Amino acid sequence: MTVDLPTPRVGRAAEAAPQAVRVVLNWGRRYSLWVFNFGLACCAIEFISASMARHDFIRLGVIPFAPGPRQSDLMVVSGTVTDKMAPAVRRLYDQMPEPKYVISYGACSNSGGPYWDSYSVTKGVDQIIPVDVYVPGCPPRPEALLHGILTLQEQIAAETPGRARARSRPRPYAEQPASAGEVTRGLLSPPEETS
Amino acid sequence: MITRDVEPAEWAEQVRAARGEGFDFFDWLSAVDQTDAEESPGLDVVCHLIRTHPWERVLLRTRVAEGAPLASVTDTFRGAAWHERETHEMFGIDFPGFDDGTGHGLRPLLLPDGFEGTPLRKSFQLAARASKAWPGAKEPGEGGGDQAPAPRKRARRRLQPPGVPDESWGPR
Repeated sequence: MTVDLPTPRVGRAAEAAPQAVRVVLNWGRRYSLWVFNFGLACCAIEFISASMARHDFIRLGVIPFAPGPRQSDLMVVSGTVTDKMAPAVRRLYDQMPEPKYVISYGACSNSGGPYWDSYSVTKGVDQIIPVDVYVPGCPPRPEALLHGILTLQEQIAAETPGRARARSRPRPYAEQPASAGEVTRGLLSPPEETS
Repeated sequence: MITRDVEPAEWAEQVRAARGEGFDFFDWLSAVDQTDAEESPGLDVVCHLIRTHPWERVLLRTRVAEGAPLASVTDTFRGAAWHERETHEMFGIDFPGFDDGTGHGLRPLLLPDGFEGTPLRKSFQLAARASKAWPGAKEPGEGGGDQAPAPRKRARRRLQPPGVPDESWGPR
Protein backbone atom coordinates (compact mmCIF):
# COMPACT_ATOMS: atom_id res chain seq x y z
CA MET A 1 0.00 0.00 0.00
CA THR A 2 1.34 3.39 -0.90
CA VAL A 3 0.45 6.85 0.31
CA ASP A 4 0.20 9.73 -2.14
CA LEU A 5 2.64 12.30 -0.87
CA PRO A 6 2.61 15.85 -2.13
CA THR A 7 5.80 17.11 -3.70
CA PRO A 8 7.87 19.19 -1.27
CA ARG A 9 7.75 22.83 -2.28
CA VAL A 10 10.02 25.73 -1.49
CA GLY A 11 7.15 27.64 0.11
CA ARG A 12 5.34 30.69 -1.13
CA ALA A 13 8.45 32.59 -2.10
CA ALA A 14 6.99 33.72 -5.41
CA GLU A 15 3.80 35.20 -4.01
CA ALA A 16 5.24 36.62 -0.77
CA ALA A 17 7.89 38.94 -2.08
CA PRO A 18 7.21 41.65 0.55
CA GLN A 19 7.75 39.08 3.26
CA ALA A 20 10.89 37.73 1.77
CA VAL A 21 12.78 37.57 5.03
CA ARG A 22 10.01 35.67 6.75
CA VAL A 23 9.81 33.19 3.97
CA VAL A 24 13.53 32.64 3.94
CA LEU A 25 13.61 32.08 7.68
CA ASN A 26 10.77 29.61 7.59
CA TRP A 27 12.25 27.94 4.55
CA GLY A 28 15.49 27.42 6.38
CA ARG A 29 13.77 25.99 9.40
CA ARG A 30 11.47 23.59 7.68
CA TYR A 31 14.22 21.89 5.69
CA SER A 32 16.82 21.58 8.43
CA LEU A 33 14.93 19.78 11.16
CA TRP A 34 17.52 18.07 13.31
CA VAL A 35 15.42 15.36 14.84
CA PHE A 36 15.65 13.82 18.28
CA ASN A 37 14.06 10.40 18.34
CA PHE A 38 12.43 9.63 21.66
CA GLY A 39 12.01 5.95 20.84
CA LEU A 40 10.15 4.13 23.58
CA ALA A 41 8.65 1.04 21.93
CA CYS A 42 8.07 -0.71 18.64
CA CYS A 43 7.15 2.54 16.83
CA ALA A 44 10.80 3.52 17.14
CA ILE A 45 11.65 0.68 14.77
CA GLU A 46 9.37 2.20 12.17
CA PHE A 47 11.01 5.56 12.80
CA ILE A 48 14.41 4.02 12.18
CA SER A 49 13.03 2.42 9.05
CA ALA A 50 11.87 5.84 7.88
CA SER A 51 15.37 7.19 8.40
CA MET A 52 17.08 4.46 6.41
CA ALA A 53 17.71 4.21 2.70
CA ARG A 54 14.32 3.07 1.41
CA HIS A 55 12.18 5.83 2.90
CA ASP A 56 15.00 8.24 3.66
CA PHE A 57 13.52 11.27 5.38
CA ILE A 58 16.84 13.06 5.04
CA ARG A 59 15.65 13.99 1.56
CA LEU A 60 12.95 16.02 3.33
CA GLY A 61 15.53 17.82 5.43
CA VAL A 62 15.06 15.77 8.59
CA ILE A 63 18.49 14.98 9.94
CA PRO A 64 18.56 12.10 12.46
CA PHE A 65 22.05 12.79 13.82
CA ALA A 66 21.35 15.29 16.57
CA PRO A 67 23.87 14.65 19.35
CA GLY A 68 21.24 15.38 21.95
CA PRO A 69 18.12 17.36 22.68
CA ARG A 70 20.09 20.60 23.04
CA GLN A 71 21.08 20.48 19.37
CA SER A 72 17.74 19.37 17.93
CA ASP A 73 14.70 21.15 16.53
CA LEU A 74 12.19 18.32 16.31
CA MET A 75 11.33 15.63 18.81
CA VAL A 76 9.54 12.52 17.59
CA VAL A 77 7.96 10.65 20.50
CA SER A 78 7.49 7.13 19.18
CA GLY A 79 6.20 4.54 21.60
CA THR A 80 4.38 4.00 24.85
CA VAL A 81 4.92 6.81 27.34
CA THR A 82 4.60 5.59 30.90
CA ASP A 83 4.07 7.74 33.96
CA LYS A 84 7.53 6.77 35.11
CA MET A 85 9.04 7.94 31.82
CA ALA A 86 6.91 11.08 31.49
CA PRO A 87 9.17 13.37 33.60
CA ALA A 88 12.15 12.34 31.45
CA VAL A 89 10.22 13.16 28.27
CA ARG A 90 9.34 16.53 29.74
CA ARG A 91 12.87 17.19 30.92
CA LEU A 92 14.42 16.49 27.53
CA TYR A 93 11.76 18.59 25.84
CA ASP A 94 12.64 21.46 28.14
CA GLN A 95 16.28 21.12 27.14
CA MET A 96 15.53 21.69 23.45
CA PRO A 97 16.09 25.24 22.17
CA GLU A 98 13.29 27.26 20.64
CA PRO A 99 11.83 26.96 18.09
CA LYS A 100 11.01 23.34 18.81
CA TYR A 101 8.45 20.99 17.37
CA VAL A 102 6.99 17.68 18.49
CA ILE A 103 5.56 14.85 16.41
CA SER A 104 3.63 12.20 18.30
CA TYR A 105 4.14 8.99 16.36
CA GLY A 106 1.80 6.07 16.92
CA ALA A 107 -1.34 5.28 18.86
CA CYS A 108 0.42 4.93 22.22
CA SER A 109 1.97 8.36 22.30
CA ASN A 110 -1.16 9.89 20.77
CA SER A 111 -3.64 8.63 23.35
CA GLY A 112 -2.29 5.63 25.21
CA GLY A 113 -3.37 3.33 22.41
CA PRO A 114 -4.18 -0.23 23.40
CA TYR A 115 -2.92 0.53 26.90
CA TRP A 116 -5.37 3.37 27.51
CA ASP A 117 -6.74 1.73 30.68
CA SER A 118 -3.40 0.68 32.13
CA TYR A 119 -2.36 1.90 35.54
CA SER A 120 1.06 2.94 34.34
CA VAL A 121 0.64 4.35 30.83
CA THR A 122 0.26 8.07 30.20
CA LYS A 123 -2.88 8.80 28.19
CA GLY A 124 -1.06 10.59 25.42
CA VAL A 125 2.20 12.49 25.41
CA ASP A 126 0.26 15.71 24.90
CA GLN A 127 -0.57 15.63 28.60
CA ILE A 128 3.00 16.69 29.36
CA ILE A 129 4.30 18.44 26.23
CA PRO A 130 2.57 20.30 23.38
CA VAL A 131 2.30 18.27 20.20
CA ASP A 132 2.27 19.72 16.68
CA VAL A 133 1.46 16.69 14.53
CA TYR A 134 -0.15 13.40 15.49
CA VAL A 135 0.61 10.39 13.29
CA PRO A 136 -2.02 7.66 13.81
CA GLY A 137 -1.39 3.96 13.46
CA CYS A 138 -0.26 0.97 15.46
CA PRO A 139 2.48 1.24 14.37
CA PRO A 140 2.18 3.70 11.48
CA ARG A 141 3.94 3.01 8.23
CA PRO A 142 7.11 4.99 7.58
CA GLU A 143 5.20 6.77 4.83
CA ALA A 144 2.84 8.05 7.50
CA LEU A 145 5.77 9.64 9.30
CA LEU A 146 6.88 11.20 6.02
CA HIS A 147 3.42 12.67 5.65
CA GLY A 148 3.48 13.88 9.23
CA ILE A 149 6.81 15.59 8.57
CA LEU A 150 5.38 17.26 5.48
CA THR A 151 2.39 18.43 7.51
CA LEU A 152 4.74 19.88 10.11
CA GLN A 153 6.74 21.61 7.42
CA GLU A 154 3.56 23.20 6.11
CA GLN A 155 2.82 24.46 9.61
CA ILE A 156 6.32 25.89 9.91
CA ALA A 157 5.94 27.63 6.57
CA ALA A 158 2.77 29.34 7.79
CA GLU A 159 4.08 30.54 11.12
CA THR A 160 5.49 33.91 12.06
CA PRO A 161 9.24 33.62 12.67
CA GLY A 162 10.11 33.87 16.33
CA ARG A 163 6.55 33.07 17.37
CA ALA A 164 6.40 29.38 16.73
CA ARG A 165 3.00 27.87 17.41
CA ALA A 166 1.62 31.19 18.59
CA ARG A 167 -1.72 30.31 17.04
CA SER A 168 -1.90 26.61 17.77
CA ARG A 169 -1.06 27.00 21.45
CA PRO A 170 -3.78 29.22 22.91
CA ARG A 171 -3.05 28.53 26.54
CA PRO A 172 0.40 28.49 28.13
CA TYR A 173 0.26 25.00 29.54
CA ALA A 174 3.22 22.74 30.24
CA GLU A 175 5.43 25.59 31.38
CA GLN A 176 6.61 24.13 34.67
CA PRO A 177 8.68 21.00 35.07
CA ALA A 178 6.41 18.06 35.80
CA SER A 179 7.01 15.34 38.38
CA ALA A 180 5.66 11.84 38.09
CA GLY A 181 3.14 12.48 40.83
CA GLU A 182 1.51 15.28 38.89
CA VAL A 183 0.79 13.14 35.86
CA THR A 184 -0.50 10.22 37.93
CA ARG A 185 -3.99 9.86 39.20
CA GLY A 186 -4.66 9.19 42.82
CA LEU A 187 -5.97 5.93 44.19
CA LEU A 188 -9.64 5.38 43.52
CA SER A 189 -11.94 4.21 46.26
CA PRO A 190 -15.43 2.80 45.76
CA PRO A 191 -18.36 5.21 46.02
CA GLU A 192 -20.32 5.49 49.25
CA GLU A 193 -23.10 2.98 49.73
CA THR A 194 -26.44 4.59 48.95
CA SER A 195 -29.46 2.48 49.68
CA MET B 1 9.60 -29.18 36.50
CA ILE B 2 8.95 -29.86 40.16
CA THR B 3 6.26 -27.87 41.96
CA ARG B 4 6.39 -27.73 45.73
CA ASP B 5 3.63 -26.24 47.83
CA VAL B 6 5.07 -25.12 51.13
CA GLU B 7 3.67 -23.50 54.23
CA PRO B 8 4.29 -19.75 54.61
CA ALA B 9 5.99 -20.32 57.97
CA GLU B 10 8.72 -22.47 56.42
CA TRP B 11 9.08 -20.48 53.19
CA ALA B 12 12.60 -19.18 53.81
CA GLU B 13 13.82 -22.57 55.06
CA GLN B 14 12.42 -24.34 51.99
CA VAL B 15 14.10 -21.90 49.62
CA ARG B 16 17.36 -22.36 51.46
CA ALA B 17 16.94 -26.15 51.39
CA ALA B 18 16.29 -26.04 47.63
CA ARG B 19 19.50 -24.11 47.19
CA GLY B 20 21.28 -26.77 49.19
CA GLU B 21 19.93 -29.37 46.76
CA GLY B 22 21.71 -27.64 43.90
CA PHE B 23 18.98 -25.27 42.77
CA ASP B 24 21.37 -22.36 43.04
CA PHE B 25 20.23 -20.30 40.05
CA PHE B 26 17.53 -17.84 41.17
CA ASP B 27 15.28 -17.15 38.19
CA TRP B 28 12.39 -15.08 39.50
CA LEU B 29 10.01 -14.48 42.37
CA SER B 30 6.54 -13.07 41.99
CA ALA B 31 3.00 -13.42 43.27
CA VAL B 32 -0.44 -14.40 42.00
CA ASP B 33 -3.61 -12.81 43.33
CA GLN B 34 -5.79 -15.70 44.54
CA THR B 35 -8.02 -13.67 46.83
CA ASP B 36 -11.09 -14.96 44.96
CA ALA B 37 -10.17 -18.61 45.49
CA GLU B 38 -12.80 -20.91 46.96
CA GLU B 39 -10.64 -22.23 49.79
CA SER B 40 -7.99 -20.36 51.76
CA PRO B 41 -7.98 -17.14 49.73
CA GLY B 42 -4.77 -15.19 49.71
CA LEU B 43 -1.78 -14.41 47.58
CA ASP B 44 0.38 -17.10 46.01
CA VAL B 45 4.05 -16.23 46.22
CA VAL B 46 5.96 -18.20 43.63
CA CYS B 47 9.72 -18.65 43.36
CA HIS B 48 11.40 -20.31 40.39
CA LEU B 49 14.80 -21.88 40.91
CA ILE B 50 17.00 -23.73 38.40
CA ARG B 51 19.65 -26.37 38.77
CA THR B 52 21.86 -26.06 35.71
CA HIS B 53 23.70 -29.38 35.95
CA PRO B 54 21.93 -31.72 35.61
CA TRP B 55 19.14 -29.51 34.32
CA GLU B 56 16.11 -29.31 36.61
CA ARG B 57 13.67 -26.61 37.63
CA VAL B 58 11.69 -26.22 40.81
CA LEU B 59 8.73 -23.98 41.49
CA LEU B 60 8.20 -23.15 45.16
CA ARG B 61 4.75 -21.87 45.95
CA THR B 62 3.08 -20.70 49.11
CA ARG B 63 -0.28 -19.15 49.87
CA VAL B 64 -0.04 -16.08 52.09
CA ALA B 65 -3.18 -14.75 53.71
CA GLU B 66 -4.08 -11.20 52.76
CA GLY B 67 -2.09 -8.74 54.81
CA ALA B 68 0.16 -11.41 56.32
CA PRO B 69 3.94 -11.04 56.01
CA LEU B 70 6.29 -13.56 54.43
CA ALA B 71 9.91 -14.06 55.43
CA SER B 72 12.40 -12.60 52.98
CA VAL B 73 14.79 -14.85 51.04
CA THR B 74 17.36 -12.14 50.37
CA ASP B 75 19.77 -13.80 52.79
CA THR B 76 19.69 -16.91 50.57
CA PHE B 77 19.62 -15.16 47.18
CA ARG B 78 20.81 -11.54 47.09
CA GLY B 79 19.28 -11.20 43.63
CA ALA B 80 15.83 -11.72 45.09
CA ALA B 81 15.87 -8.14 46.41
CA TRP B 82 14.56 -6.58 43.22
CA HIS B 83 11.89 -9.27 42.90
CA GLU B 84 10.73 -8.81 46.46
CA ARG B 85 10.64 -5.05 46.02
CA GLU B 86 8.52 -5.47 42.90
CA THR B 87 6.23 -7.99 44.58
CA HIS B 88 5.92 -5.64 47.53
CA GLU B 89 4.86 -2.65 45.43
CA MET B 90 2.63 -4.60 43.06
CA PHE B 91 0.86 -6.82 45.61
CA GLY B 92 1.49 -5.14 48.95
CA ILE B 93 3.12 -8.17 50.55
CA ASP B 94 5.51 -7.36 53.39
CA PHE B 95 8.84 -9.21 53.49
CA PRO B 96 10.31 -8.96 56.99
CA GLY B 97 14.05 -9.53 57.05
CA PHE B 98 14.48 -7.88 53.66
CA ASP B 99 18.07 -6.73 53.17
CA ASP B 100 19.62 -5.65 49.89
CA GLY B 101 22.72 -4.18 51.43
CA THR B 102 21.58 -0.57 51.27
CA GLY B 103 19.61 -0.43 54.48
CA HIS B 104 16.73 1.42 52.81
CA GLY B 105 14.36 -1.51 53.17
CA LEU B 106 11.41 -2.26 50.90
CA ARG B 107 10.81 0.71 48.63
CA PRO B 108 9.18 1.12 45.22
CA LEU B 109 11.21 -0.22 42.34
CA LEU B 110 9.21 0.32 39.15
CA LEU B 111 6.21 2.45 40.01
CA PRO B 112 6.52 6.22 39.59
CA ASP B 113 6.89 8.54 42.56
CA GLY B 114 3.68 9.16 44.40
CA PHE B 115 1.85 6.13 43.03
CA GLU B 116 -0.85 4.90 45.38
CA GLY B 117 -2.12 1.36 45.51
CA THR B 118 -0.99 -2.12 44.53
CA PRO B 119 -1.83 -2.31 40.83
CA LEU B 120 -1.48 -6.03 40.21
CA ARG B 121 -4.08 -6.97 42.81
CA LYS B 122 -7.51 -7.79 41.53
CA SER B 123 -9.05 -5.28 43.92
CA PHE B 124 -7.15 -2.42 42.25
CA GLN B 125 -9.59 -0.35 40.22
CA LEU B 126 -8.35 1.13 36.96
CA ALA B 127 -8.91 4.89 36.91
CA ALA B 128 -9.37 5.00 33.15
CA ARG B 129 -12.06 2.33 33.31
CA ALA B 130 -13.92 4.17 36.06
CA SER B 131 -14.23 7.29 33.93
CA LYS B 132 -14.75 5.77 30.48
CA ALA B 133 -16.55 2.70 29.23
CA TRP B 134 -14.81 0.09 27.15
CA PRO B 135 -15.11 1.38 23.58
CA GLY B 136 -15.52 -2.00 21.94
CA ALA B 137 -17.92 -4.90 22.27
CA LYS B 138 -17.95 -6.53 25.69
CA GLU B 139 -19.51 -9.84 24.79
CA PRO B 140 -19.15 -12.11 21.76
CA GLY B 141 -21.89 -11.29 19.27
CA GLU B 142 -22.25 -7.69 20.40
CA GLY B 143 -21.63 -4.75 18.16
CA GLY B 144 -20.88 -5.16 14.51
CA GLY B 145 -22.76 -2.08 13.33
CA ASP B 146 -26.21 -2.60 11.90
CA GLN B 147 -26.19 -6.34 12.24
CA ALA B 148 -28.45 -7.76 14.88
CA PRO B 149 -26.58 -9.80 17.48
CA ALA B 150 -26.67 -13.51 16.88
CA PRO B 151 -29.09 -15.31 19.22
CA ARG B 152 -27.26 -17.19 21.91
CA LYS B 153 -28.27 -20.69 22.85
CA ARG B 154 -27.49 -20.33 26.52
CA ALA B 155 -26.61 -17.43 28.69
CA ARG B 156 -22.91 -16.96 29.11
CA ARG B 157 -21.39 -15.71 32.29
CA ARG B 158 -20.87 -11.99 32.04
CA LEU B 159 -17.26 -11.02 31.55
CA GLN B 160 -15.97 -8.75 34.26
CA PRO B 161 -12.18 -8.62 34.19
CA PRO B 162 -10.31 -7.62 37.34
CA GLY B 163 -9.74 -3.93 37.76
CA VAL B 164 -12.93 -2.92 36.01
CA PRO B 165 -15.41 -1.18 38.31
CA ASP B 166 -18.80 -2.85 38.59
CA GLU B 167 -22.23 -1.23 38.42
CA SER B 168 -22.01 0.18 41.95
CA TRP B 169 -19.63 2.84 40.61
CA GLY B 170 -22.45 4.35 38.60
CA PRO B 171 -22.91 4.83 34.87
CA ARG B 172 -19.92 5.56 32.68
